Amino acid sequence: MKVSWNWLCELLDLPAGISPQAVAERLSVSGVAVDAIHPIGKGLSGAIVVEVRGKRPHPKADKLTLVDVFDGKEVTQVVCGAPNVPSPGEPLSSPRLVWARPGATLPSGMTLSVREVRGVPSPGMLCAEDELGLSEDHGGILILAPEDGIAIGADFAQAAGLPDFVFELDITPNRPDLLGHIGVAREIAALFRHEGVRLKPTSTDPRTVLGWFADPVHCRDCDSPEHFEKAPRIVVEDPEGCPRYFAHRLTGVRVHKSPLFYRLRLQRLGVRALSNVVDATNLALLQFGHPLHAFDLGKLAGQQLMIRRAKAGEKLKTLDGQDRELLPEDLLIADVEQGVAVAGVMGGQTSEVGETTTDVLLECAYFSPARVRRTSKRLKLHTEASHRFERGTDPSALPEVADACAELIVKLSGGRLAAPPTDVYRHKIPTQKLTLRPERTTAILGLAIPTATQKDCLEALGLGVTFDGQLLHVEVPTRRPDLSREIDLIEEVARIYGLAHLPMTLPRLAMAEPPPPTKGMTIYRNADRARLLCASLGLSEVLLFSMTSPERVRLGEGKQATRPHLLDNPLREELSVLRTRLLPGLVELLRQNLAHGQTDIRLFEVGEVFLPSSPGELLPTERTHVAAVLYGHRDHFLKPTASDALDFFDVKGLCEQLLDGLGLKLCLQPSSEAGPRAVFIRVATENEAPMLHPGAAAAVVAAQSGELLGVFGELHPDQQKSHDLPNPAFALELVVPALPIEKQPYVAPSRFPGASRDLSFFVDDKVEAARLMDTLWHAGEPLLRGVSLLEDYRQPGHVPTGQKGLLFSLTYRSDERTLTDEEVHKAHQRVISHLGAKFSLQLRQ
Amino acid sequence: MNESDSRAGELARLFEESLSRYQAALAEATSESALRVVHARYAGKEGEIRKRLADALKAAPGPDKRAVGQAGNTALQKAEELFGSRLVDLHEQKRQADLQRRLDVTIPGRPHRLGGLHLLTQVRLELEGIFAELGFQVATGPQVETDFHNFEALAMPKDHPARDMQDTFYLRSHDPSHDPLVLRTHTSPVQIRTMLQQKPPVRIISPGKVYRKDDDPTHSPMFQQIEGLCVDEGVTMADLKGTLLYFVQRFFGPGIGLRLRPSFFPFTEPSAEVDIECFFCKRSGCRTCKGSGYIEILGCGMVDPEVFRHVGYDSEKYSGFAFGTGLERMTMLRYGISDLRLFFAGDARFTEQFR
Repeated sequence: MKVSWNWLCELLDLPAGISPQAVAERLSVSGVAVDAIHPIGKGLSGAIVVEVRGKRPHPKADKLTLVDVFDGKEVTQVVCGAPNVPSPGEPLSSPRLVWARPGATLPSGMTLSVREVRGVPSPGMLCAEDELGLSEDHGGILILAPEDGIAIGADFAQAAGLPDFVFELDITPNRPDLLGHIGVAREIAALFRHEGVRLKPTSTDPRTVLGWFADPVHCRDCDSPEHFEKAPRIVVEDPEGCPRYFAHRLTGVRVHKSPLFYRLRLQRLGVRALSNVVDATNLALLQFGHPLHAFDLGKLAGQQLMIRRAKAGEKLKTLDGQDRELLPEDLLIADVEQGVAVAGVMGGQTSEVGETTTDVLLECAYFSPARVRRTSKRLKLHTEASHRFERGTDPSALPEVADACAELIVKLSGGRLAAPPTDVYRHKIPTQKLTLRPERTTAILGLAIPTATQKDCLEALGLGVTFDGQLLHVEVPTRRPDLSREIDLIEEVARIYGLAHLPMTLPRLAMAEPPPPTKGMTIYRNADRARLLCASLGLSEVLLFSMTSPERVRLGEGKQATRPHLLDNPLREELSVLRTRLLPGLVELLRQNLAHGQTDIRLFEVGEVFLPSSPGELLPTERTHVAAVLYGHRDHFLKPTASDALDFFDVKGLCEQLLDGLGLKLCLQPSSEAGPRAVFIRVATENEAPMLHPGAAAAVVAAQSGELLGVFGELHPDQQKSHDLPNPAFALELVVPALPIEKQPYVAPSRFPGASRDLSFFVDDKVEAARLMDTLWHAGEPLLRGVSLLEDYRQPGHVPTGQKGLLFSLTYRSDERTLTDEEVHKAHQRVISHLGAKFSLQLRQ
Repeated sequence: MNESDSRAGELARLFEESLSRYQAALAEATSESALRVVHARYAGKEGEIRKRLADALKAAPGPDKRAVGQAGNTALQKAEELFGSRLVDLHEQKRQADLQRRLDVTIPGRPHRLGGLHLLTQVRLELEGIFAELGFQVATGPQVETDFHNFEALAMPKDHPARDMQDTFYLRSHDPSHDPLVLRTHTSPVQIRTMLQQKPPVRIISPGKVYRKDDDPTHSPMFQQIEGLCVDEGVTMADLKGTLLYFVQRFFGPGIGLRLRPSFFPFTEPSAEVDIECFFCKRSGCRTCKGSGYIEILGCGMVDPEVFRHVGYDSEKYSGFAFGTGLERMTMLRYGISDLRLFFAGDARFTEQFR
C-alpha cells in the first residue's frame, strides 16, 4: 500500500527533525515493511501557475508555439513545444499552465534561464507532468482549470502539495488497521512516542469541524416513523453477512472534477481521480482504511437498499463493465428491483454516480470478512474494497468515517446532508477484553521486560490497559481484530519494545531417545547415497520439476494406462501433471545439452515420482527414483575412437554398481528363498521399458517378490530420433530401495592361495550367460570360490552356427590349506560334469 | 709329453673352443630370453660343455678322471660368469635405453571424468550438517499434502487472507468430499506430521521441495525449503535468535550479524523476518542489499498456540520456535547466482561448474 508523507504529517504532531527516512527505517524494523520511498516533486521551486492569454505559431518551426502567459502582474511570451497548448478564453477564466520561470528549478535538477529557441528568446518553460516530478507523463503540458482553485501567480509546488514522499508499505494480512493513513500515523505515533510524536486529536473526529453535526442524530431504529421519510431506507436481511450498515443521504450535489490538489494526491497513491464524489470516497478510504460506496440515489428503484443474499443465478453488471453471475453465498446490495452492488467487492453500473447525479446515498458498512473473501475469490475480482473487508475493517468506526467522507463531499460538490444518517447495527460487536501475564512475556521471549514497560508498549498502540498487581487487563478496540489472545499481546510488546533487545541463547538440549528410523528417512538416506554413488561414478546431478506435460508422461509410460495426477490450476500445459518417471525429463535434457554443444553427457537425477494412490489412501504414492542417461563416449584419450563409444554394458555396469552400493544383492535367478535384498536382471518387456530398445532393455527384479525395481538399456531408436540424438543413448531408472543398507560383517581374506582353471565351450546362443553362471554356482562344489566370464565370441566361421563360444575362469580355494593340483583338477571336473548334465556343451581344448 | 698330458691339453682346447663360441653367441644375443637359450645350449644340462665333459670322463682312464672333472668344472664356472656378466650388461643396456625415453608431458591427460552433486544438494547437505551440530534431525514428509496439513493445522483456515501469501497448486480431485490435495507450499506440514507422532522434545529440520504458483527469474513454481522446529519446555525467542546467529555465521561466515524484524506468519507468534548484514558491501550499501545494508534471508517465529492445539501439545507447558528459508535463495546469495531458473534447467555447463 502507498501512503503519502505529507498526509501523515497532517495527522501527526511531528517534531521537526524526524525525517521520512527515519520514520521508514523505524517502521521497517517494527513490522511495517517499507519497500521503497519515492520522492515526488523534490527539488521543484519557482514554478508558478499562469493563465493563457494568447498563442501563435513559431515563425520558424511548425511544432513550436509562442504562448503569452499572465502571472497576475504581466504577460510574458514563452516558447512551447507541446502539442496541447490551449487557446485563451476570457481573462481570469482561461486555462492555466505551470510556468517554470528563469531561476526556477525542476526535480531533474535543471535550473531554468532565458534561452533562444529557433531565434525566439524563451524565458523558462511551460511544464509537463514529468518535468514537475508528478508522473512519467510527457504527452503534453499540464493544463489546469479555474475550478482547480489555484490563484494565478500561486506557487505550484505549494498548491499541489509538493514536495511529498510516497512510501510503499508491505502490510501483512493480519493488520487491516494499517490499510489507511490514520492507522499508519497511529503506528508512527506509538513507535516515536518517546520523541514526542502524537496523533492530532482532530484527525479522528471530523465532527468537531463539521457544524451540521453539532447534535448528531443517529437512527438506531430505521423503522421509527418520524425518520423513515428522510433518512436513507436500509433493510438488512442478512445480518450475518452485514453486521452493520451506516448510510448518509446527501442532496444538491454537483458532480465534476476534483480540485488539482486532491487529484494529484490520489494519483500519487495509485488511485485514478474520477469525480469529486467518487474521489471523496477514495480519499476517505485512504485516510481511514475503510471502503465506502456512493450510490446515485435517483437511480435506486424505490429509493431504498436491501442487503440480502443473491438469488442463484442473479446477474449484475459491475462498474468494470463485466456481467457477474451470483450465488446465494454472495452478499448483494439491492434496490427494490435489482442488485446494485456486490457487497464489499464492487458497485454496479446502474446506480453509478455520474454528471447528472444530484442525490447521493453514501454507504459505509461492515461486511463479514469471510463472505467478502469467498465472493471476491470466486469472481476473481480483487479490489481495494474487498482487500480491506476480507482482512477485517473496524465496525466501530463507521459513523466517523462516513461523516468525514460526507464532509468532504459537501466541501467538494456543494451539496448538503439531507437527513440524519441511518445506522443498522443490531448486535454490537464488542471490544475484546484480554489479560496478559507479564511473566508469560518473559517466558516466551527469553527477556524480562518490566511490567510498566509492557503496559507502556500496549498503551502506545491505543489499547486500554490496567494492572491489578498481577495481571495486565487489556481492552482492545475493534480496529485490531488481530489481537484476540494473550500471545497476540506478547507479540505487540515485543514489537514495540524492539526485537533488537532480545539476547541470543541456544536452546537447552534435553535428554531424548533417538527417534526410531522411519521408512521415509531410510529412503531419504538411500537417496543421498544414490546421489553420492552416481557422482562418484562420473555422473552430474540435475534437478527437474515434479510437474511435467501429459505428453512426456505418455512417453515414459508407453501403452500402460497409469493415470497421472493432474493439477487443477497448472501454470501451463507443460507443467500440468505430476511425473510418474524421471527418464522422460532426462532424455529431453540430452537433446538440450547436445544443442548447447556438449558431446559426452552423463546426467542423473534422484527425485520423487507420483503414482496412483494405494487403495484406501488419500495421498498419491510418492516413490523416490534414481535415473541416469549416458551419451557419447567413455573417458578417452584425445580423440575418441570407435571402441570408445558407450554401449549397453556401460549402463549395465553403472546399474550393477548402484545396486551394490544401495545394499542390494545381485543374484542370477528368481528365488523364493532369496532375502528381500536379492535382485536379478532379466530381459525387460516392452511394457516395462517403453522408452528402451526392445533388444537391449533389461529389468531389475526383486528375486523374492518378483517386483519390478527398475529398467536400463539402450534408448529406443524412435526416441533417439525424436530427441534429435545422432547416436544411441543409454538410460537407467531404478526405485531407491526402502530397506536400510545392511552393515556387512568383516570377513578376513583367506591365507591360502586360490587356483584358477579355464572352462571354454560352445553352447546354444539362446542360453543366457546368467543361467550358466547360476548353474556353475549351484554345482555344489565347496571349493569353487569365483566364476568370471572372460569371453563371449560369436564370429561366424569361428563358431558353429546357432552357437556361441564362452570362456569362464573358475577359481578354487580352501580356507584350511593350500590345494594340490589334483584336488583342483577333481573339483574342476565335478563342476564341468554338473554343467554338462544341464546344458549341451561342446567343450574346447 | 705323455699321453695323459696330451689328452688333457686336447680337452682344454675343446673347452676353450666351446667357451669362445659360447662367448660369441652370448654377445649376439640381445634379449634375456635369447641369452638363456644360448646359456642352455652351451652350459645347460644338455649343453655342449657338459656333453664334452661327460664324453671326456667316459674316455679318461680312472686316475685322470679327477683332473678332467676339475677342467670341466672350471669351464662351466667360466661359462656361468660369462652369462652373468652378459646378463648384467644387457639389463644395464635396457635400463639406459629406457632412460632415454622422453614424453611430451604437456599433452593433456586421459580424462577421468568427475561426477558431481547438484549445487543445491551440496548446500542442503551442508545445512543439514550445520543444524546437526545443534542437535536438529532431518524429518521428511510427502510433497502432495492435504489442505489440513498444509494450511488448516498451521492456523490458516479456509477464507483466511494469509492464504494469499502462498499461491497454491491444487490437485484435480476425483472425490470432492475429500479434503482437497495440494502441492505443499512449504515444508511446514512435516512439522505437523512430526508433532502428531512425537511428544516433545522435538528438534527437527525438514528440507524438501515445495511448490508455488509463480514463475519468473526470482520465483520458481518448484523450489526447496529448509525449515526448522524446536519444541520443549522453556524454549524462548532468544533461543531462536541464538540458533539463527549460529547458523548464519556457520553458513555465511564469522562476524556476520543479524536482525529480527517483526512480521506475520499465521503459524508463528511473535513472527519475524531475519535480515543478515550484507556480506558483499559490509553494510555500506550495494545492489544485493538494495542499499539497505541488510539482506532478508528467512522467516521465523515462536510456534503459535493454535498450531500446538492442532497437534495436541499443551501450549502452557511447551513452547517452541520455527524458521524456514529457501535453499535456492541461500545458494544464490552465497554464489552470486542471479537467475533461479538455472537450477532447474539441467544444463551440464551449469551443473559441472560446482564439483
